[in-house]
Amino acid sequence: MLRTALIIARKDLRLTIGRSGDLAQAAALGLLLIFIFSLSLAPGQRMSAQSAAAIFWMASAFCQVIIFSMLHAYEENNGQKQGLLLAPMPVQSVWLGKALAGIVLLMIAQALFVPALIVFLGQEFGPVWKAGPSVVLVCDIGIAGAGSLMGALVQGQSGKESLLGILVFPLLTPLFLGGIRVGSLAFGGADEGIGDWMGICLAFDAVFIAAALPLFPFAYNAEG
Amino acid sequence: MRNGTTPKQNTRNGLFRLIPPAALFAGLALALCWGLVFEYAPKESTLGLPQKIFYLHLPLAWWALTGFFLTFVAGAAYLCTGREHWDAAGAACAEVSLVFAFLAVISGSIWARASWGVWWTWDARLTTALIMCFVYAGYLILRRPDMPPARRARISAVLGIAAFLDVPLVFFSARLWSYIHPPSISLEPEMKMTLAACLVAFAPLWLCLTALRMKIDLDGRRLDALQAARLLREDRCRDKREVQL
Repeated sequence: MLRTALIIARKDLRLTIGRSGDLAQAAALGLLLIFIFSLSLAPGQRMSAQSAAAIFWMASAFCQVIIFSMLHAYEENNGQKQGLLLAPMPVQSVWLGKALAGIVLLMIAQALFVPALIVFLGQEFGPVWKAGPSVVLVCDIGIAGAGSLMGALVQGQSGKESLLGILVFPLLTPLFLGGIRVGSLAFGGADEGIGDWMGICLAFDAVFIAAALPLFPFAYNAEG
Repeated sequence: MRNGTTPKQNTRNGLFRLIPPAALFAGLALALCWGLVFEYAPKESTLGLPQKIFYLHLPLAWWALTGFFLTFVAGAAYLCTGREHWDAAGAACAEVSLVFAFLAVISGSIWARASWGVWWTWDARLTTALIMCFVYAGYLILRRPDMPPARRARISAVLGIAAFLDVPLVFFSARLWSYIHPPSISLEPEMKMTLAACLVAFAPLWLCLTALRMKIDLDGRRLDALQAARLLREDRCRDKREVQL
C-alpha cells in the first residue's frame, strides 16, 4: 500500500509542481488573505502572536481546500478514476497518496506564509520558534487525512471548492485551535498548556486517519 | 405483497401509523413537564425565572447528541447493508437533531445573557456546539436533490460517520477546558425530578419528528419510483403504437 501510495503522491506532485499555476493559485489565495488582514493594522502596529497564528491557519485552511480539490480533480477530469479503482492495489493507497502529496504542497505554501506574517503582520520569532515546524507538521497530518477523504466526497459536484470548505472547516476546528494555541508560541506568544494542545492535535490526527482508512473506499467509489 | 407493497414495507407502514398517537402522547408529556417546570420546581434564588430555560436547554442538547449518534449508526448500517431506509433514517436523525442543536444553542445564548450578561462568549462548550451544528449543516447541504440517489446515500453515510468524530469533543469540552459553561450543576431534588421528566418527555417528541421526516422521505422516494415506472410504461406504449402504425 505504501509503495503505490508513494507512486500516486509522486505523480500528483509532478503534475502540480509541473503546472506551477496550480500551486501558485493556492498559495496566492493564502498570501492575499494575510495581506488583507494587515490592512487592519495602523502603521508600525504589531498584531498579537495569537491573531497572527489564527490568520496563518486560516490561510492554510483555504489553501488546503484548493489543494485537495485539485488533487482529486486530476483523475476525475481525465476519466482516469476507474483506472485507479481497477488497479491491483488497495483503494486506500489513493487516499494516502493524495494525503502525502497534499502535506508536501501545503507545507510549501505555508513556508511562503511565514515570511508574509513577518513582513505584513510585524511578527518576530520567539525563543521557542523551533517548535513551530513540528506543530505545523502535526496539524498538517490531520488536515491532509481529512482533506483527502472529503476531497473525494465532493468530486463531480458543482461548487465543489465551497462545499469542501463547508465540510472540512468545522471538522478541522480542533486541529486549528491546537495549531493556533501552540503556533502562537513560535511568534513569542504566551505558553497556554502546549502539551495538552499537542495531545489534542495528535489525538485528532489519529481519529481522522482511523476514520478515513475504512471510509475512503466508499467515498471514492460512491457510484458503487 | 399487498397493494404493491412488500411485507417489510407493510411493517414499516405499521410503525409509521404509531406517529399520531405518539405525537399526542408527546404533546401531553410536554404539557405535564411545563406544569412541573412552572408549578413544582422551585425558583432559583440567583437567576430567578430565566433559570427555567435550563429545563428546555438540556433535553434539547441531549436529544440532539443522541440523534447525531444515531446518524452515525445509520450511516454505518447503510454502508454495511445498502438498504435505503438506513439512508432515510440517517438523514431524518440529522435534520431533526440539527434543529434541536440550534435550539439548544439559542436557548443557551438566552441563558448566557441572563446569567453572564453576554449573548455569546469564547467558551469551549459553546464553540464546539456551534461547530457541531455547522458540520451537520454541511451534511444536509451535501444531500442535494440533483445528485444520483445511490451516490447521495453513500457519501451521506460516509459524512454521517465522519461528522460524528467531533461530537465527543462537544460532550467533553466543558470538562476539559471549563471556562464559563458549567460541566455539571447541583440541583434541588424537585429540580432534578423536573429535569428528568423533561428529558423523558422530549424523547417522544424527537422520535415523532424523526419518524415523520423519515416517512416523508420514503414516501417521496416511492412516488419518484412510481412516476419513473409510469413514464417508462407510457414510453413503451408509445413505441408500440409507432411500430403498429
